[in-house]
Amino acid sequence: MRRAKVFSGTSHPELTEHICERLGITPAPVALKKFSNQETSVKIGCSVRNEDVFIIQSGSRNINDHLMELLIMISACKGASASRITAVMPYFPYSKQSKKKKYRGAITAKMVANLLSVAGVDHIITMDLHASQMQGFFNKPVDNLYAEPSIAKWIQDSVPEYSTGVVVSKNAGGAKRVTSLADRLKIDFALIHTDRTRVTRSNSTAPGTPVTPVNEVSAQESISDEKPISNEDNNSYFYTSNATDNNITISVVNDKKYDDEEDFSSFSTSNSDPFFSEENDLNLNCSNTITLVGDVAGKVTFIVDDMIDKAGSFIAAADHLMKRCNAKRVYVISTHGILSNDSLIEIEKCKSIHKLVVTNTFPIPLENRNQSTKLEIIDVSATLAEAIRRTHNGESISYLFYTAL
Amino acid sequence: MSTNSIKIFAGNSHLGLAQLVASKIGVDLSKVVVLKYSNQETSVTIGESVRDEDVFIIQSGCGEINDNLMELLIMINACKTASARRITAVIPCFPYARQDKKDKSRAPITAKLVANMLTVSGANHVITVDLHASQIQGFFNVPVDNLYCEPSMLKYIKTEIPDWKNAMIVSPDAGGAKRATSIADRLNLDFALIHKERKVANEVSRMVLVGDVNGKIAILVDDMADTCGTLKKAAETLKDNGAVKVYAIVAHGILSGKAIDVINESFLEKLVVTNTIPHEDKKSVCPKLDTIDVSPTLAEAIRRTHNGESVSFLFSHAPE
Repeated sequence: MRRAKVFSGTSHPELTEHICERLGITPAPVALKKFSNQETSVKIGCSVRNEDVFIIQSGSRNINDHLMELLIMISACKGASASRITAVMPYFPYSKQSKKKKYRGAITAKMVANLLSVAGVDHIITMDLHASQMQGFFNKPVDNLYAEPSIAKWIQDSVPEYSTGVVVSKNAGGAKRVTSLADRLKIDFALIHTDRTRVTRSNSTAPGTPVTPVNEVSAQESISDEKPISNEDNNSYFYTSNATDNNITISVVNDKKYDDEEDFSSFSTSNSDPFFSEENDLNLNCSNTITLVGDVAGKVTFIVDDMIDKAGSFIAAADHLMKRCNAKRVYVISTHGILSNDSLIEIEKCKSIHKLVVTNTFPIPLENRNQSTKLEIIDVSATLAEAIRRTHNGESISYLFYTAL
Repeated sequence: MSTNSIKIFAGNSHLGLAQLVASKIGVDLSKVVVLKYSNQETSVTIGESVRDEDVFIIQSGCGEINDNLMELLIMINACKTASARRITAVIPCFPYARQDKKDKSRAPITAKLVANMLTVSGANHVITVDLHASQIQGFFNVPVDNLYCEPSMLKYIKTEIPDWKNAMIVSPDAGGAKRATSIADRLNLDFALIHKERKVANEVSRMVLVGDVNGKIAILVDDMADTCGTLKKAAETLKDNGAVKVYAIVAHGILSGKAIDVINESFLEKLVVTNTIPHEDKKSVCPKLDTIDVSPTLAEAIRRTHNGESVSFLFSHAPE
């Protein structure tokens, strides 16, 4: 690529390496460090005057530091007369906070978009935005790439009996994503709904109906007779309410996506767990009902979502599919594997989940990867590299929306 | 002397709703003349002083949608240059809300463009109802209050649908599943989902029902009903799967094209829409059409905005 420079932030150097390898170039030199007072310092190590600059920075566990680093790098390149600056953000930070929750929520994703624009970015390349409406937060062009072709290819290559499988969404909000993948693979889909307010009712529908059985079970039941989910290891996603009343209610406190009209009080900066505190006192005393709409009996199932952060709701969904609905095997598939805290270990322990499949948009530390036998990582660097190449050469990138490279 | 009182202006899109809202607040509509020149340009004359007043302009995105949008922009701008203290655009049905993402290559995000146009013309605040995607709030740099029809819909179901406890909430497409589950939860009912399947390329899409409606009343829930083709097919699918009766409850009844004929021929028992869009004329030719009045919610939102009170209450309650 003539007159182009690719810089890498510190969030995901491995991905940058893969991308640069595909592009046949080396990353441009840049010195990124922190002063002792924790301020980020950026030194661009080569001239970028009149160059087409690409800066690759994903989200990470140190999300704010890496965001700041990206902003400073953009600003540095802008100040150094780069002709165009493209931020390549495989995982867009704060993308879950993309709308006002019911009460006074900040639309932080919009603020991040404003910050990037103010820093001087000219173009954004990202992948599987939490809501595609976020492209409208920018006044600059945004290319939202899809991991779906790569995921579909992985399923076709790695799961022999996929054609009789079922794609499952673990919440109503993800139904569209799931139906799109189901259509691509020409297989059925189903939907899991977790309901925190409803009281448990007896199942009024006949379970024998061919296409449309509705299996329903309260979370309380689903774990009362099953061993693997235990409460003793200070399990972070099950709470027992103390004996305020005789029958103990057990609530599944999901790591449901923040967009599920949930108040996100979990962002409190509690010292015990600064990243995500596991809270939600709102939910402590209500019983949950997990409902599956669709039929998965005897079939391979794929629980698909755009990101997996905490594992609780995925595990609850997988347990429900395996134990209550007699699924044959459960794959958990998601584009962005954030997997904070001990999510990977929890998934490793969960017997219901056969494999966890994520892409490499989000960095997963090597030691965590080595711990897990269930983790499969799809490499999407080819798609990102091709998007960079095409953007640089002014070619259309629509092809990448449908094709896995 | 300025009073900083509420001034409510109405565009030509939906005078009926504006009058209902004004009478609920207990004020008269402020005087404005909105005309068209012979060359089709819109002309606005604000008929009374708005200096230092709290201005609310009610204009829905319906009918001649571009004309109505232009009218709204000009009215905002006229009030701005006339030194209004604050201008709130009350847009019950946000125009171009469906063009909110680049879902295809090179698709324009027109909703964002409309948001920019409103801000540039001088709107300080926007009040709207059931945005197609709540992310549209992020398209604005000014505060947006997105009100919900849901509380009014719940009230309707509980009062107007006999035997609603034997009902099932159904979403006619995957994208609306969340809306349907939310209502199902509030009513403590089951829900189901219809998917337009495209298993084979070029095959006419087939509707697949996921969930069991046999022997139940099915209530279809969606945020807008335009040509109603989907609703008609969904009602057929539900009937084939053993639903006793099929109702449809929709926030924005656009009902364009042959929608009324389609509804009359369909299995739908009733199509219930809110009055964010005028449909009085359609009601006379379609006995199945029923209305939920959202003017109390809008009026209360305006009153609370004016007084600087919280509007959160309206997200879960329908005022009388």
